[in-house]
Amino acid sequence: MAPLDTDTRPGLPAEAQGHAFPTRDDRPPRVRTGPGSGAGHRPDRDHAPTAGWIPLAGEALLDRLRITGRPRPMADPERADRLRQCLEDGIGRVAPRTGLPLLVTRGNLTRALSCGAHRMPGGVEERPFSLPLAIGALMEVLFRQLVTTGALGDPMVDGLDGLSVDGRRAGLVHWIGRLSYGDRRALAGEVRRQARGLADRWPALDPAWLPRTQEPMRVALGGGAVELSTRVDLAIGRPGLDVASVGIVEITSGARRPEHRDELAFSALLETLRHPAPPFVVATYYTRSGELDVEPVSEELLTAAARRTVAGVQAMLHNGQAGGPAGDPAIGGGARQGGACAGCTVWGPVGG
Amino acid sequence: MSLSGGPTGASALRGPDPHRGGQLTDVLLAPPTSLVSAADRDAARDRIVTALVGSVGGRPEGPERTVGLPVLIQRARDQPVPTDPEESFTWKPAFVRRSLGLATVEACLERRFRWPAEAVGPVADRAVAEWQRTGWRTFHWEPWFAALSAGARAAVLAEASAWATTLWSALAWRRFPVPPRLGGSDDQWVCPSDRTVRLRGRCEVRIPLVGQAAAGHAPPVVGTALVSLMSGHPPAAGGEPELAFLALVSALASPTRPVPSRVAGLWLHAGEHRVVEVTGELLVEAASRVVGAAASLADEGSGDAVGPA
Repeated sequence: MAPLDTDTRPGLPAEAQGHAFPTRDDRPPRVRTGPGSGAGHRPDRDHAPTAGWIPLAGEALLDRLRITGRPRPMADPERADRLRQCLEDGIGRVAPRTGLPLLVTRGNLTRALSCGAHRMPGGVEERPFSLPLAIGALMEVLFRQLVTTGALGDPMVDGLDGLSVDGRRAGLVHWIGRLSYGDRRALAGEVRRQARGLADRWPALDPAWLPRTQEPMRVALGGGAVELSTRVDLAIGRPGLDVASVGIVEITSGARRPEHRDELAFSALLETLRHPAPPFVVATYYTRSGELDVEPVSEELLTAAARRTVAGVQAMLHNGQAGGPAGDPAIGGGARQGGACAGCTVWGPVGG
Repeated sequence: MSLSGGPTGASALRGPDPHRGGQLTDVLLAPPTSLVSAADRDAARDRIVTALVGSVGGRPEGPERTVGLPVLIQRARDQPVPTDPEESFTWKPAFVRRSLGLATVEACLERRFRWPAEAVGPVADRAVAEWQRTGWRTFHWEPWFAALSAGARAAVLAEASAWATTLWSALAWRRFPVPPRLGGSDDQWVCPSDRTVRLRGRCEVRIPLVGQAAAGHAPPVVGTALVSLMSGHPPAAGGEPELAFLALVSALASPTRPVPSRVAGLWLHAGEHRVVEVTGELLVEAASRVVGAAASLADEGSGDAVGPA
């Protein structure tokens, strides 16, 4: 589980550039107000992880993202070179030179490193449609709408319209349209609940922080034989300054899983490789509960991400791109040790 | 010829300018190191006209083959050339992001707004209002956008806002002594010896390059730099003729204008850029790439899938 960063001391160097995702002192006072925007927000007891726990909202949520309690990393081209070299050594020299590059995403990395029992089918488009997948897609669209326009209407209407306008989601929209009355009602209820939490808690982002939704990141390795690729739900702050100024946020509608931290680290790695300054923070926001897991970006996190990427790609190459090793009986893939799988990092029931 | 580039900002953070786009902007604005003559342009043109007669001119008339930068890059990588989509065209956010994104950056450049995220909505609204008032569609998507619901509109705006913000972050826009031109129609040229071959060059930014000003006079414009935004990542090596292709099409499409002096390719999602200084030799090399691409397109019956501007 990603550790929550509870240190909120403002002991950070103030950013001189107006475009950086600012520290507390130079924050414009633009936060959305309304029910649930302050510390007195009544927790949603059905979904809060701990009784009495109150999800962060408004300025407090922003502070949690901005203030990691650690100095923001400096730009360091040598760091990027080191990480790239690690990847090139592990991946670039073994990847086959075929016409099309081997596409490495955070999803297929996780899949390659999962045991057979927990290996998810392909990407989002390849997974069988389900209510959780539909909720995730709708919340992704609604978060983007909230960041861009600052407002949500009827979440189901807006969400479906947002999905419909993107032809790639036509299959999912069609599937939702064919749901039974009960399933559709359940879907709408959960989407409305999560959207209300999102709208109540997420502050308006100042345009000067250069918010970018669904930002693609790509890094080529091995002379183009391998392409690391991801797309982050939200990037804030101007890239390429002397001091790390970019924060990356992923939105997740499901339960907290250990691989979320690894996937965030993958995004941090790609941002570091394409700009000399890494992001200073990566975070996952759980729309189901309002939890915000914040991870300050460090050398250790980036190095671990590079090593995991090498291991994942090697597994992909060894076993074919479809996935990693089948559940290894020697390590008991699918067997449980506490809540976690003994064969891989997945925390959850077999098949999920 | 020269090429500079690599991961953006690899050395951009050492100077006094903390903004990586500052150093790229300086490279783009530097005085041109070479000027391409009319004779160079004619030599490149002749290379295409004579070669295409030989390679594909004798073939029966077929569908038009459009050679654009994506075709050349795919070909240089030995990858399949994109084919024209079979399905009928329908608008979607990805088709709007470039034109709305460029209009958004332009609004910031003109200081009507400070940041793309605050400009994108009003710029779209203004385009729709203009269309409703005059019937003139500047961007073509106005009627479609006007009919969208709030959720669908937000998806379009988000796409354009992110695109514009990325471009806005990439350059130090306030440094341009003469405002750059954003967008505009593509440069096109139809080969006179084989009229089924069309060259199409699309760039996002055209930057006037100025020389030393005489006392009391505005600095003269001595050249143009073209900036093209690319998807994916740049080739590991080479790529100069492919980028010079944009200068070639511009030169062929407007023979009375000077040949662009410089072309930059920005792979913003990869954080990389390449800049080439255009020379006569490079133009001819670009022409040779066009000939090769046209011949292979004739064999494959495909061409650039060109989306709306």
